[in-house]
Order: sequence, then structure tokens, then C-alpha cells
Amino acid sequence: MSGQDDPHQLDASAFHRTVHSFEFWFEAVEGYLHGREYGVSPATQEVELSERQRESLITILCNYCVGETAALDASSGMIGFAPDRISKIFLSTQVVDEGRHLEVMLHRLGQLGVRDPEAEILQRANRSLLKFKERLLDFVHASDWEAAVLAQNVILECMEYTVFRYHAAHADPVTSEMLSGVVSDERRHMGFGENDLGRRLIVAPHAHERLLKIKRELDPLILDTFSETMGELGIEPASRPDLANEYLGAVARLGFQS
Amino acid sequence: MNDPLESQRGGTEKRPRQVFELDETGFNEVPPRYRRFYRRWKGTADSLAPNEVKCPVCKVVIRSRVELRAGDRVYCMPCMSRLEVIEENGELVAKVLY
Repeated sequence: MSGQDDPHQLDASAFHRTVHSFEFWFEAVEGYLHGREYGVSPATQEVELSERQRESLITILCNYCVGETAALDASSGMIGFAPDRISKIFLSTQVVDEGRHLEVMLHRLGQLGVRDPEAEILQRANRSLLKFKERLLDFVHASDWEAAVLAQNVILECMEYTVFRYHAAHADPVTSEMLSGVVSDERRHMGFGENDLGRRLIVAPHAHERLLKIKRELDPLILDTFSETMGELGIEPASRPDLANEYLGAVARLGFQS
Repeated sequence: MNDPLESQRGGTEKRPRQVFELDETGFNEVPPRYRRFYRRWKGTADSLAPNEVKCPVCKVVIRSRVELRAGDRVYCMPCMSRLEVIEENGELVAKVLY
């Protein structure tokens, strides 16, 4: 094995440049998306869903589409005021990821018999998630980098990462495989957020108080969305995945009290 | 690999580090040349080898060619985190370095 291939031998700036690059992204997504049309292998078979299961899955996917649209609109807008070129390049890979997520989810809705996804999303969207999206886009329109990274790459991505992983483990085979590819993308988005904000708070600790207020405003919206999605999945509160372990762990590492 | 503590310690830290041959693990979320340095955590029945530590951000297992010790710096490429290996309650864990 060549020492050049050992990632732990990279210096910090080379690592930073490498993982934020399109080159890295191309080779990473090739590993888990190649040969999978709309994120699903040809060999993966549909199973029959009951009407109740189909209805629940449609509602869940409609809300996933709201979240993915929020992330697509926000990440594309953030490129214009990102603080450096490496962040702009990374965000451009995130835009591609978010567009793909939206596409595979709309495709899945079509497979489930939804003829007019726009109308269906409008009808089934969770009000708290719509409010969260509105606030996220307020931060983007105000070119508020720190608030946008917190709302999108820490709070929203962390919730999606937790929910999608859990749902992928319990879903029908087609939905499960589609979600697994999305989860692999979410690792990068979530890691970008925590690491960018972590670096920023070290040099600008005064931003902490302002971000804490934003976090307190957004927490109920995201927790309500999480709770409703778990309800649609038919998961009792006691059996739900530990969002606290993921999301609150991330914000605790950033120094925010829960 | 940076191990600033190694030269200051005596005893077991002087012992040469175990070297590991890294095989492919099926992990496919980073470019092919880096894939053997990572694997998926298999849940509560899983355990970490002396050359492995779990990423606190994305829960992927990070693997090294040599036994890990407190003070080592490792990278989680799947979530782009820079980490330091620390000892906590007698176990090696990874802490994010921003």
C-alpha cells in the first residue's frame, strides 16, 4: 500500500482541500450510485404495500421533498456568499446531491401512484417543516453564513441523517436502497456544517450567543417534524431513534447547551 | 501519523505499535484508494480493533495501518472531520478538532 493513499498521512490543509473537492465527490458517489437508476439497483424488487403503508410512505416522502427542496434552495443560494472558494466548490457538490435527492424522491412518489406530486406535497407538508424552510431561506436571503450553516448543515441535515438512516433500516427494499444512497451524501453535508461552524466559533466566539437564540427558535420546529415523521412510520415514542444522540451530540460538541 | 505523546511516555508506549494489513471492507463512500481505511459500524455486537476508532460525527469506523494511541490524529473522510484520539475511561475515542 502506498503511503500516499493513507488519508491519515495528509496534512490538515491537503485533507481540507481534498474532501471538499469535486474530484473527491465524483469518486465517492461513484462507489454507491453507479449502476443504480434513481438510486436503486435493477435487482432490487418491489414488495406489495398495504394501502395504509402506501399512504404513510407518500406522506413521509412528500415531507422529505419539502426538506430536500429547502436544502436545494438554501445550498444553491449560499454559494453566492460563501466565505471562500473551497466552500463554494463543496456547496456546488451539495447542490447536485440535493437535486438528486429531490429527483429520486419524486420518482418514488410516481412509483407509488402519485400523479401530481406538487399538489400532493402542498397538501401533506408538515407546517413546522414549512416554517423551518421559511426561516432557513430568510438566513440565506440575508447572506447570514453562520445562521444558514447552523440551520441547514447542522440542524436540518442532522435530523435528515437520523430519520433517513432509521427509515432505511425499516423500509421496503426499494425505498430502503434509495434512502441509503441519500444517507451517504448526508454524511458530507452534516460534517461540513459541524466542522465549518466549529472552526468559525473558535475565531468568533461572540457569534455563539446569537446562534444559540436561532437554535432555540428552530429546535421546536425540527423536533415537531421529527415526531410527526416517526408517527407516520408507526414508531412509538419509546422505540424511536435517538435524535438526541445525533443532533444534541453535534450541537453539544459545538458548545451549545441543550 | 503524529504522536506527540509517544516520546514523553515510558512503559507500554515505548512498545512498538502493531502493524495491520488493511483489507477492503465493502465501504464505498470515499474514493477507491481510501476505502480500506473505513468501515461501517455494525451495531452493538460490533467491537473496535486496536487500529480502529469510531467517528463521533458520522459513526463510521476509522481504520489505521498501525495501532492507535492517545494523541494520534486521524481523518474521517466520509464526513470530512479531523479527529484526535484520546483516552476516556480506559478506552480510545475520537474527539473532533475544528
